[in-house]
Amino acid sequence: MIKWLGALLVAATLSLGVAMPTFAADKEKKIALQISDGSGETQTLILNVANNLQMHYGVDNVKIEIVAFGPGLRLLFKDNDNGNRIAALSQNGVRFSACQNTVQGMAKVLGHPPALNKQAIPVSAGIARIVELTEQGYTLVRP
Amino acid sequence: MNYIKRSIIAMACAGAMITTVNTAQAANWLMLQGTETAGTAARANVWGFVQLDYQADTSEPNSTGGYIPPKLLGPDLNTQHAFNVSRARIGVRGAALPLDDKVNYFILLEGGNNGITSIDGSSVKFTDASITLNHIPGARVRGGLFKYPGAEEGLQAIHVFDYINFTEVSNQLLLERFPNRVHPGTNPAPCDPTVTPACNLNRFDSPVGAFRDVGVQLFDAFKFGNLELSYAAMAGNGNGLNFSDNNDKLDTYLYLSTEWLFGSGDGPFREGLKFFVWTQNGERLFDGNNDGTYESYDRDRAGLGIKFLKKPWRFTAEYMKGEGMIWNGPDKATWALVPAGDLNPAHASNGLLAEGTGWYAEGGIYIPGTNFQVDLRYDYYARLDGSQYQLDWKAWTLGLQYHFNRKARVTFNYAMRDVNATSFAAGAGPNANLDGIEDRYGIQLTTIF
Repeated sequence: MIKWLGALLVAATLSLGVAMPTFAADKEKKIALQISDGSGETQTLILNVANNLQMHYGVDNVKIEIVAFGPGLRLLFKDNDNGNRIAALSQNGVRFSACQNTVQGMAKVLGHPPALNKQAIPVSAGIARIVELTEQGYTLVRP
Repeated sequence: MNYIKRSIIAMACAGAMITTVNTAQAANWLMLQGTETAGTAARANVWGFVQLDYQADTSEPNSTGGYIPPKLLGPDLNTQHAFNVSRARIGVRGAALPLDDKVNYFILLEGGNNGITSIDGSSVKFTDASITLNHIPGARVRGGLFKYPGAEEGLQAIHVFDYINFTEVSNQLLLERFPNRVHPGTNPAPCDPTVTPACNLNRFDSPVGAFRDVGVQLFDAFKFGNLELSYAAMAGNGNGLNFSDNNDKLDTYLYLSTEWLFGSGDGPFREGLKFFVWTQNGERLFDGNNDGTYESYDRDRAGLGIKFLKKPWRFTAEYMKGEGMIWNGPDKATWALVPAGDLNPAHASNGLLAEGTGWYAEGGIYIPGTNFQVDLRYDYYARLDGSQYQLDWKAWTLGLQYHFNRKARVTFNYAMRDVNATSFAAGAGPNANLDGIEDRYGIQLTTIF
């Protein structure tokens, strides 16, 4: 009986030991933030949300990707007034994806592609990137 | 004049020290009023504000029962107690093509009852209609009708001004009134409407300048860590809110400021310690001696000041000096305060060639933990400074504000005024009318949308 209980305890401990990393991985949050309108208020809000998520979960416990497309791409324009905030969030691991379909569309209006923030990572299609992220377990949020 | 020349030289030297580093994105008055924030500008942002007030003047009439303008409420000058919609402005601003927000526009319409709208009988008038080009780093360009660079009290946005009325030095020396270009001998003489209903004490036929001009301005701001340097150079018609010029002389404006930013607050309430200096130079055409021809008179202004804001405390002080075209009151639409028949512009009581000097210091505290704000201001203005007819205007103004929220507040002011002609005994000369100028109080409701 004692041996049986001992074996059960060892098995439970081992299973816990194996399960711990899996448990930690499950607790890591993955958030995709969509910005597709160009208002200044939305830009401020989405940067606030990213910042608040990192403060709430801890920088190392949450993966955040901001996907900008349509008018929302203005967030990632080179001279956007939020440049310092974007740089700070990027240093803390937030990824900024810039839709190239939107870039091409804007180029037709402007006569040249818009100059983008150096933190912007080109993705072929912003909406497709969001689909990919949700398939990878990201929670989509559109503030 | 030497003072003004020295100011220009000092500003030129300081300007030469500015080198282009990174363009500042933080707001100051030059930026706030016409420049949109990069990357966030809307195509059309509708905004405005309304100010309603009740004011009462406790001044006594002169010995014959008549009143002079400082004893009556403007702009109508026919009563001592009145409700008024003093400002009602609505405007649109933004970037016509948000994708390329380097081109900004700013228009603002005034419908309240004040010196802008009441003088020429129009009920609504544009106070701003400008386009700003932000293409050249270090040299933004603004054209159209807008606030010219100058004294803090005039340059700041009026809807966040902490008092109901301007200081006397800003009101009289800087807030330009435009002369009827013919001598009053050919105009109806001003007379007291409190005695005779058909009379009018306000004989100007153009709106006040509202610290604005039509022209072109080169300007920008540069940040070096927490230090921000700003400059503006402008050429304008020198004709206030009127869209076109009335002579072939342009006014020139120069402005420099340096501000240490404390890193908190934004927009009009950005916290910092700012020093600034400015000059304005122009000429005005006017038939000062009633000979049927126009003469040209210089109008020069200069000043410097300091502004501090770190909540809960704030403080402002300015010194201003002017030469030429010294305003002598709304009943003296010719700048003349001349004994009958004297047409000499150099007469001691004539403002055409005279000087004016003044200063003010004011401060306040946002009472922590409450929505109340207490303000206190002292202002001094020497009109016709140094002449036999110099008038000293002194006032203490106590203010109390209650902020309902960030966009709405009520302001109570009580102003204790003392005005006299320094070379005359009580009851003699100008003092016959100035005696009896007493306190003025008022309450104002402001909402911004």
